[in-house]
Amino acid sequence: MTRQIAILSGKGGAGKTSITASIIKVLNSVVAVDADVNASNLPLLLPHDTRSTEPYYGMDIAHINQQTCNGCIICSEACQFDAITRDSLGQVWVNSECEGCGSCVFSCPVNAINLVEHVGGEWFLSTIDNGYLVHADLIPGEDNSGKLITKVRNEAASVAKEKNIPYIVIDGPPGTSCQAISSITGTDLVLAVVEESLSGLSDYRRLAELIGKFSIPHFVLINKAGFSPEIENKIHAAVREFNGELVGRIPFDRKIPEALQGLQSMAEMNEYRKDIENVLQQLLKALDEIT
Amino acid sequence: MVISVVSGKGGAGKTTLATSIAQVLNAEFYDLDVDAPNSEYFLKPEFNREQSIYQPIPTFNEDLCDACGRCTKECRFNALIKIVDRIYLTESLCHGCGLCEKVCPQQAISYRDSAIGTVRSGYSERLKNNVHVGDLKIGSTRGTYLIGELVKQIVPDQMAVIDGPPGNSCSAVAAIKPADLVVLVVEPTPFGFHDMEQTEQILIQMEKNYLVIANKAMNEESVDSFFQGRSKKCSLTIPLDERYLKANLDGDILSSRFSEVYSSLKSAIEQELATI
Repeated sequence: MTRQIAILSGKGGAGKTSITASIIKVLNSVVAVDADVNASNLPLLLPHDTRSTEPYYGMDIAHINQQTCNGCIICSEACQFDAITRDSLGQVWVNSECEGCGSCVFSCPVNAINLVEHVGGEWFLSTIDNGYLVHADLIPGEDNSGKLITKVRNEAASVAKEKNIPYIVIDGPPGTSCQAISSITGTDLVLAVVEESLSGLSDYRRLAELIGKFSIPHFVLINKAGFSPEIENKIHAAVREFNGELVGRIPFDRKIPEALQGLQSMAEMNEYRKDIENVLQQLLKALDEIT
Repeated sequence: MVISVVSGKGGAGKTTLATSIAQVLNAEFYDLDVDAPNSEYFLKPEFNREQSIYQPIPTFNEDLCDACGRCTKECRFNALIKIVDRIYLTESLCHGCGLCEKVCPQQAISYRDSAIGTVRSGYSERLKNNVHVGDLKIGSTRGTYLIGELVKQIVPDQMAVIDGPPGNSCSAVAAIKPADLVVLVVEPTPFGFHDMEQTEQILIQMEKNYLVIANKAMNEESVDSFFQGRSKKCSLTIPLDERYLKANLDGDILSSRFSEVYSSLKSAIEQELATI
């Protein structure tokens, strides 16, 4: 049975992607998922070979048949999103605010509107040294990234099943909103990467509260540590409060961002590979204990 | 004049720069990173007002509803499900579109307001201006709607700074939309540049005035070589300086503590404002 680990942080820039890539590199066999579909960076750290590219269809959106439309604009009144406007020539158009609810279709007295497929991005299946990488690019500004995340995760699950790969590791998006929810749903455990800062602590608290709603165990790796023992203590207290478990601490070290400039993760750094392996061992042990 | 501070990549320094820019310009502050708002740790406002932000959601008149299931079939967001002889709403999936109310043959559905989050407002002595912080209810998926509602409260003609959400999806667009000028913060790493190019596509499509500030630069050369040959130049490069990281941990506004940050930000922004 495949186990799924999601790596999140609440705060952006805490080090999710570099830690995710490091963990992926020390596993024997893995399906990696980049769930940060509108700022997809994991593929930059994982040498990969893209095997297939598929269009991603977001929500269908409204389309007005100009031949049939009588310009009555009843649809615009039905639309809650200000997505339908009439131009100075009396022609009625759907703009980018359309969320695809279909209210206009229902309200149109002359059946001039239907919902049409809408490409919101692409998703990719790639091979990496020790398994597969499923990733995606949302078209910038597009809606519904949660749906795309669900899509790449489903693909990852079927690849893992088909190839009999024991672990799926998900690089999550920042924040605690719809994209984070789509990344956590159905996983076996969450690794929270917490930056040692006031913002890092605050966003961890929001993330831990969200994870709590899923009844999934979570583990915490403190990153960029060493500046403020006071904040670090507060993070420890918050981890206890939310029933998390601390699995490690990576200090702030200029060598890490310098290595990242050259697209090298901590798994390739002699001084940190052991730390990453140690974190992974604790996560795998926890997964074994989940029945 | 509304200035939105955004970056595709998280952790590039949006909040650090947004709070500094607001301090430099003495602007009203809107924290629209509604699912991870952090500006208050730097601005330390005295909050004195809290209002709930609502979106309309359906309610069912149990006496009229015969659980025919029409609404569950029509809802495009899978927010309604029928279990045995009742209809249930998953509030976090509802977009408040109103379709279920229209299609119900029994007229059993009406809309009421439901809170998706709050906005706290107060005065920041450090900023000498007002601060508004949006807080999305944890677990809610309606961040973009909350941002949209908050943006409506910006008084036209005032100088306002928006601290936007990370990423390049609909919530970023909502925070960019009201801006007269966008400050695009880039972390000069392969990741930061990658995400910046996606944000740039949005800004170009929306025909926004924008300037780029590189933050946490390990060295000037990598910034220079990236921007070489690009039409948009980098207006300002702020180095990765451990003094700045420490100030951040102390909850300081960077431009208040370091005069070089104050003066370089002031000139970069004013230069750009002069062209608008």
